[in-house]
Amino acid sequence: MSNDFVNLLERLVNNGVDFVIVGGFAGVAHGCTYVTQDIDICCDFSPANLLALQKAISDLDPVHRMTPNRKKLKLTDKTCVQFKNLYLDTENGQLDCLSFIDGLGDYNRAKQESELIEVEDMKIRVLSLDALIKTKRAMNRPQDKAAVLQLESIRKLRTETSEE
Amino acid sequence: MNNSRQMDPIQAATDYGIDVSMLADNLRRSVTDRIKRHQIALNTAKKLRKAKRL
Repeated sequence: MSNDFVNLLERLVNNGVDFVIVGGFAGVAHGCTYVTQDIDICCDFSPANLLALQKAISDLDPVHRMTPNRKKLKLTDKTCVQFKNLYLDTENGQLDCLSFIDGLGDYNRAKQESELIEVEDMKIRVLSLDALIKTKRAMNRPQDKAAVLQLESIRKLRTETSEE
Repeated sequence: MNNSRQMDPIQAATDYGIDVSMLADNLRRSVTDRIKRHQIALNTAKKLRKAKRL
């Protein structure tokens, strides 16, 4: 397996983690040309799913990247319920796990507004183009504004292509 | 007139400085290819960040 984001996703899929790719990397999947340094996923924050996620990346030295001492990821049934988001760093890159997306809602909503894509024979859920535009508009940071311009162009280009 | 120009997403992106032809190229690629090319760009950016000034 290669040492990159695809490997990270492969691990999640192979361990049965329920997730949807959101954020900048979803934009990359849809065709955006920018480079992003992390993968954002919206996932089910049930203990079973978070423990599956932990198992998937356990040998990648996962740490909470926002804590002062970069605390090691050590989830248990009991501690899982404390988290609404997990901001992780691993040997294969940063992985941000969110239970809620601004402008959209929780994991169930993200799943409803997702589509299946195929990456190296893996089927992965990614936020739809329309939903991603909605969330980027809601975030409204400078990088989100630039992303919206790319995403809206992609939507127009897709329409033009399908009309040909 | 100005409003319709602002509402065209491709024109808005072009005005912002986005190379829309690169987006069009990307749309012709599979998702796997897009992600592969992104990884190449990310790996290159990481190497450049570690580069030393001579």
